[in-house]
Amino acid sequence: MSGRSRAVVRWSPWAGLQDKFTMSSSGIPLIGLVDRIRRRIRQLRPSGDIAARIRKRKKVAAAVGKYLDVLRLGLLATGCLWLLALPLSHLQSGTYIDENALQPSQVNTYWDWGDVHRADKFLQDVTSLLDRNLSSAERAVFFATEFAKSGIPSSTQRYSIPTARGVLNGTNAYAIFSAPRTSGTEAVVISASWKSLTGGYNLRGVSTVLSLATFMKHYSHWSKDIIFVISDSHLDGMHAWLSAYHTPTNPNQDVGPLSIASGVIWTALNIDYPGHSFSHLGVFREGLNGRLPNQDLINSFRVISQHTGGVPVLLYDHYEPSEFPGREQIRSFFPTWLPDWIREHEDVMEYGYRAKNILRHFVYQAKGRASGAHGLFHQYRIDAITLFAVPSNGPHGFHALGRTVESTLRTMNNLLERLHASFFFYIITTPSSFLKIGSYLPSVVLVAASLMFGGLGEWVKAGWVEVKDEYMPSEKEKVANATPNSPKKKWIARRRDLLDAFMVVVTSHLAGLSIFVVICGEWLDTTRLAYIITPMCWVTLVLFRFTLRPPPASANAAPLPVLLKAINMCLASTLISVTSVLNFSLAALLAITLGVPLSFSAPSRSLPVCVTKCAVYAVLAFGWLALSGEVTQAIWDWQVLGVWFAPLVCLIYVPFVLQAGVVSGLAP
Amino acid sequence: MRWSILFFFLSWRFSVTAAVEEYREELTLRPLVDGKLAAHFSFSTLLRSAVPRDPSSLGTDDTSQHYTLFPLALGQILREHAIPEFHLTINSGKWDYDRWGHPGEPGVGSGAELWAWMGDGTAVQTSIDARWKALQNSLSGLFCASLGSMDALHTTSPANAFLPTGDLPRLLAPARDAYTLRHATLPAERVCTENLTPFLKLLPCPSRAGIAALLEPHRIFDADWHGLGVHVRWRADRGVQLTLTVQVVLDSVRTSTERRRDWTLESLFGRSLPRSCNVASSSVVLVTLPSDESAYTLSPEPHVSIEGTWSRTSDLNIVMKWPEEERFSYPLNIPPLSDLSVRRTLKGSSQTHGELSVVVRNNRPVPVRTHYLETMPWHVEFFLHTLTVTCGDRGVDCASLLTNMTYTPSRPHATPAQLLATLELPPHETLHLSLRVRKAFLRYTEHPPDAQRGWDLPPAVFVPFDAPHRRIYTPALLVDLATPDFSMPYNVIIMSSTLIALIFGSLFNMLIRRFVVIEVDVKVD
Repeated sequence: MSGRSRAVVRWSPWAGLQDKFTMSSSGIPLIGLVDRIRRRIRQLRPSGDIAARIRKRKKVAAAVGKYLDVLRLGLLATGCLWLLALPLSHLQSGTYIDENALQPSQVNTYWDWGDVHRADKFLQDVTSLLDRNLSSAERAVFFATEFAKSGIPSSTQRYSIPTARGVLNGTNAYAIFSAPRTSGTEAVVISASWKSLTGGYNLRGVSTVLSLATFMKHYSHWSKDIIFVISDSHLDGMHAWLSAYHTPTNPNQDVGPLSIASGVIWTALNIDYPGHSFSHLGVFREGLNGRLPNQDLINSFRVISQHTGGVPVLLYDHYEPSEFPGREQIRSFFPTWLPDWIREHEDVMEYGYRAKNILRHFVYQAKGRASGAHGLFHQYRIDAITLFAVPSNGPHGFHALGRTVESTLRTMNNLLERLHASFFFYIITTPSSFLKIGSYLPSVVLVAASLMFGGLGEWVKAGWVEVKDEYMPSEKEKVANATPNSPKKKWIARRRDLLDAFMVVVTSHLAGLSIFVVICGEWLDTTRLAYIITPMCWVTLVLFRFTLRPPPASANAAPLPVLLKAINMCLASTLISVTSVLNFSLAALLAITLGVPLSFSAPSRSLPVCVTKCAVYAVLAFGWLALSGEVTQAIWDWQVLGVWFAPLVCLIYVPFVLQAGVVSGLAP
Repeated sequence: MRWSILFFFLSWRFSVTAAVEEYREELTLRPLVDGKLAAHFSFSTLLRSAVPRDPSSLGTDDTSQHYTLFPLALGQILREHAIPEFHLTINSGKWDYDRWGHPGEPGVGSGAELWAWMGDGTAVQTSIDARWKALQNSLSGLFCASLGSMDALHTTSPANAFLPTGDLPRLLAPARDAYTLRHATLPAERVCTENLTPFLKLLPCPSRAGIAALLEPHRIFDADWHGLGVHVRWRADRGVQLTLTVQVVLDSVRTSTERRRDWTLESLFGRSLPRSCNVASSSVVLVTLPSDESAYTLSPEPHVSIEGTWSRTSDLNIVMKWPEEERFSYPLNIPPLSDLSVRRTLKGSSQTHGELSVVVRNNRPVPVRTHYLETMPWHVEFFLHTLTVTCGDRGVDCASLLTNMTYTPSRPHATPAQLLATLELPPHETLHLSLRVRKAFLRYTEHPPDAQRGWDLPPAVFVPFDAPHRRIYTPALLVDLATPDFSMPYNVIIMSSTLIALIFGSLFNMLIRRFVVIEVDVKVD
């Protein structure tokens, strides 16, 4: 290439503007103003030499190209460190109530010991249902009758949902209390599932709902219809009820229609009370596919529980470090090889407590799993949480729970609009502090940016190659160029033949699809599948080195591994950044599981390195199949509740890792 | 069949000479099966031999109006806009037809409903639409209600479903019976004290004497359901009749500490009936006796009949007790008391599409033919081709039962859609109607201040052919449309600044940039 280059650059906008105005008339004051602004801007500019500016720009681009690997690694490391820093209290801020209409804990509650007595009587009845071993249909009829005795229209709903592991059958009971003087266009749900999230029976939760129904009927201050739902099983009953309430008909699932209906549901409280008394109320908030309720609901509940109910609030069932079992729990959260003086340090304790909360949240959210029956509501734009009465020997019972639920409902009753302020993106670290979106989102975006830089770098590498310049310029050209040192190397453009790379991408996604179909069908035990398919994948990847020999290195066409890696990294980066605003935990999981392996994929000249790399990618791609319990659960979630996690892993994660494996398996 | 209504007379004036104006008041108390009590107040003023104004005379001076009992404020509105018949109801609550039966006054849809029959005027300023607008504004001024927002977005003309309840005078010009119906509903309008106070002012005996004394705002507005109604009609043989109604459903089980359904006038309304209204020609309290078999007592002794002129001098406090009941036990299975049971829901949680589902059950042993009227603001657009009608639980196709369908599509941002059809309901049959709908995307100025609440959709109305006065309103619906987050000015500012920067910046650049060729010396080492 010659030492001079011609560039078409865009030049100052003001020049044209001035021409336009001066041509018409220069006497108008506006022109004087434009002139002055133009002069001011020109003063701000470094220099008028455009060629210099272009040179500077090129230099920066060259520097980015030169230090690309450092930049990539830096971004990746910063992102990962940021993720580790999330539990630090410096990044977090205190919770507050955003919606002024809520006014939590500002009402006198009327729930008294008479209502507690009624709840106790209901508990006797409900316990006898369990003792008599009644079928779910008989149970539901009992609940519906109890609601009707309180004067609330009630009904039952049968459902059967087919899954790969048989059909889920059950019957829900529900009742709708039409609030006085309202048109019945808005509603609030109080629900309890028959099974607790601990796996036991939610007898006291069910009794609380029955007793609350009788209690609420006696007051006229409700501005929204109150729907009481006692759902069968843990999740499937509530799923059937909600889908019958909201969706017209689902041909796959035989869900009975609801014979009474109310309006749009705004809020839902799910009560889970498995023990005989409780010490704390825990909040479970994660919904399907990583959806979260508006944070105002959680914050209001915390205020109410502490001030009206007198019950301290926990996240999940994690005790705080200041409380008795909490310290021990957090100690065991850290690895045992850490010396005690580190594990016992106050700051480390605090870090551990917050990290534990974040980690639990990450696991629920990344898997898209609902942490309780409340999680099924979010997809219908209903803010819902589960109040989990943490089992203990005391001191609280129906009295505190009833008052808290009553007051929380009164707070939600105040709403004239849905909770809508942008308060849906948060990570709660302790009951009273949380991470704002601005303080956690950059971590994952940095990893995605690192991947994107890597991908674009590979793309440039595929299109341009530096070769030794064997061409001697002619005498005439030398004179014309008049450069003292003619270059020994030069950049030449290469063809980027995308077809091969594209075929590999499509094939890997098809492989992911077939894995998905296989595990959905549950024909095979997935652990055995893992032991078969991982070595197969490894061998295949290694064999690529010998079978997929690219045509002799031509200077005109880009090699396949480079192209494939470019596509792979750009796609992964896009996926991670898009996911980060939908489901942050999933994006973080992908950032770790894709960001690191994809960054280090590269063809290698040495066979042992290649074989090792292929083994790593094969294990990464299919090793998870060995966790057969998790796989079964993910498939159940997908088939019954429509959680994306299983298809996402099979159709996106596996192909991406496979592509990286192919990149490493191919000969350079 | 036993006599199920008892009369308590407050006053009775047997008028020998028919006066020009006549005022009657009546209170019907009806214990309901679920322990509640429906009270229906009716205050009726008859302007004998008066004739509504002809719209062709609207430009000219009207005859002077002198009333003694008829409210002048309302009389002026009627004359000013030449309205022979109109009905205004403002209700709060959801009337439970299955448990409460049909109401004494059929207009029980949630929110405000106004419909008027008007003759066609000749001049532009006296056109139907101009007078309809003027009528709303006058009535909203009179009753302190936001009826003025019943604009073209809410107004329809379902003439078959809302037939005139009186007669319509023959018009002088241009056509002799060019009468048109205007009908509008505001489902979110609530009724409160500010509506009741001007309402009571229209009565000859407001809140001091007669039955109106029972209209104590604290009690009325604590009721489970309450509604005000103003009904004006003209009968050729009688004259202009104004009926003001108040309907209330009170829950004595809720208000009593022992959870009993016993009631007295004092426990229901906070006071007993003090004295009669002297100008009322009749003032009657009727008690409908409960249909169930439980034993009750009623005191004082009701009147059987009264002759001549009679007026009560002492307080009247009607007491009804169920002495054998310890506490009221809610009946578990209540057979529906209305002719039809209707359930209407809007399914689908997406902000773009949904499905309107209507389930109608005929509770009578005979076939019922009924009008089905659906008025939809343009925000919700029907896909009529997806209309399916199925019978029973097994979903047999019954499209033949829906006939005579007339559909006026909506015009976006302008007029609502109106669907009127005839349903033939076989005895004890349930019909499922479903219809896919599209939810509109609004202009940002069209959102109400409480945008995140959603949009109220007016109730559908079923009008049986054989009993048009027993029309049935379904509950109102709420639809969520795609709504920007208005609550955060910060977001709005950022959003608009970004848009302006992107659009303005790039456009400005493209317009005025000059492209030149520049030589760059690349120094190569």
